[in-house]
Amino acid sequence: MTMRFVDEFRDPELAAVLGREITALCEPGRHYKVMEVCGGHTHTIYRYGVQDHLPDDIELVHGPGCPVCVIPMGRVDDGIAIAEQDGVILTCFGDMMRVPGGNGSFLDANARGADIRMVYSPLDALRIARDNPGRQVVFYAIGFETTAPSTALTVLRAKKEGVSNFSVFCNHVTIIPAIKAILDSPDLRLDAFIGPGHVSTVIGCRPYEFIPRQHGKPLVCGGFEPLDLLQSVYMIMRQLAEGRAEVENQYTRVVAYDGNPVALKVLAEVFSLRPYFEWRGLGSISSSALQLSERYAEYDAELRYDVPGLRVADPKACQCGEVLKGVLKPWECKVFGTACTPETPIGTCMVSSEGACAAYYNYGRYAKQRLHLEIAT
Amino acid sequence: MTDPSSSCATGPGCITCGDVALPLTVVEVTGPDARCRTDDGREELVATELVGVVAAGDVLLVHAGVALEHLARRNGESP
Repeated sequence: MTMRFVDEFRDPELAAVLGREITALCEPGRHYKVMEVCGGHTHTIYRYGVQDHLPDDIELVHGPGCPVCVIPMGRVDDGIAIAEQDGVILTCFGDMMRVPGGNGSFLDANARGADIRMVYSPLDALRIARDNPGRQVVFYAIGFETTAPSTALTVLRAKKEGVSNFSVFCNHVTIIPAIKAILDSPDLRLDAFIGPGHVSTVIGCRPYEFIPRQHGKPLVCGGFEPLDLLQSVYMIMRQLAEGRAEVENQYTRVVAYDGNPVALKVLAEVFSLRPYFEWRGLGSISSSALQLSERYAEYDAELRYDVPGLRVADPKACQCGEVLKGVLKPWECKVFGTACTPETPIGTCMVSSEGACAAYYNYGRYAKQRLHLEIAT
Repeated sequence: MTDPSSSCATGPGCITCGDVALPLTVVEVTGPDARCRTDDGREELVATELVGVVAAGDVLLVHAGVALEHLARRNGESP
C-alpha cells in the first residue's frame, strides 16, 4: 500500500546520500549535540535507526516533547480523585491510562470501580456527555499545542450546544517555556534543535526565533519521517558549517511559518496561561501551561471538583527527569529494562511509545545489541 | 463516534499522545464536520472549523479528530 506524504520520505538510498553529505559537513574533532524536542521524532529515530545514518560525532539528544511523559504524578492522582466521585465518567487518551501516579494508574482506578474511558478525541468525550445526561463527563486533557486546539474546539461546541455535564481537567502545556528551561539548564550543552513539526503546524516557526537570536543556536522545524529528520540534521549542519544560526522550516509541506491563525485565535479565546505548572523532570515552569479562561470557567473541572492538588515525588529509582532533559540516555537509568519495562512502567518515559525509554526499549536496544555482537566477532 | 480501540491505539502507540497527525482525504462534508478516509480505508468524522472551507477530495492533516491544516485540494492546487 502506498502512503501519500509517507513512502517518499523512507527511501534508504536517499538516506545514505544524506548521511554522507552530513558527514562531509562535520568539523574534524568536534562533537555535535542536537536535541529533537518532540517525542514523535524520538520514536522515528529509534524505529528507523536514523542515528545509524549519522556519523558518531553527531549525537541526537531526546527532549521533553512527549505529552504523556511530562505529566507529574500528582496530576494523575487528581484525575483519579475526580473519577472516583459519584456519577463521574473520566475520559482520556489511550496512553494516559497506564501512567503511574502515587495512587496507581487510571487502569488501577478502573479495577477499583471507577469509570475511566479511553477516547480518541475530546469530541468523543463530548458525545459521551450528550449520551449520558445523568452523568458528569470530564475530559482529562493532555498535550502540547498540537492537541490543545481540539480541546478548545470541544469546549466551544459544548457551550454552543449548552452541554452542561461536560468539563475539562486541563493539563495542556506549551513548548516554548520547556525549551527555555532546557537552554537555561546547566547540565546540558546543545548545539542545535530539531523543532516539533506538528506543534509548529499550530504555532508556526516565529516563536522559536529567540533561540538563534538570544542563544546563537539553530532550530530546524522537522517532519516525522526518517528522511525528514536526516534533512533537518543536514540543514542544521549546514548552518553550523556556515556560521549561521537561524530558524528554518524543513516541514514546509505541512508547517506554515506563521502557523494556523484560526487555531491560535481559538486557543486564545478558550485558554489563559497558568502562572506556573509542574513538569515531570523539569520542575515548576512559569507560564508554561494552559487553563480554561474565565469566560469558560463553567467547563473547568478543577473548579467543579475538589482534587488533592499535591506534589508527589517520583519513585527514587526512576530517572525520567534526567532522561527528559537529555542528560541521561534511557539505558543509563538504573531500572531500565529490568524493573521498568513497557509492561510494568515505573516512569512515564516507559509508558508512551514516544517516550525515550519505551522507544529505545522497543527498537533501539536491538541495534545496540547487534553492534555489540559485530564488535565481539 | 470514532472507535477509540481502533484509532487511538493504531500502530505502535497512541497517535494522540504521540502528537501524531495523519493525512486524511475528505469523503463528504456534513456541516462543521467532514467524513474522512485514511489511505488504509479507515473512516472517521473530523471537525474542520480550524481550516476553513473544505470539499470532498481535499487532504487534511488530522490530530485527535480535528483538522489542523489543509494539505492539498482536490484539484491538486495548494491550499
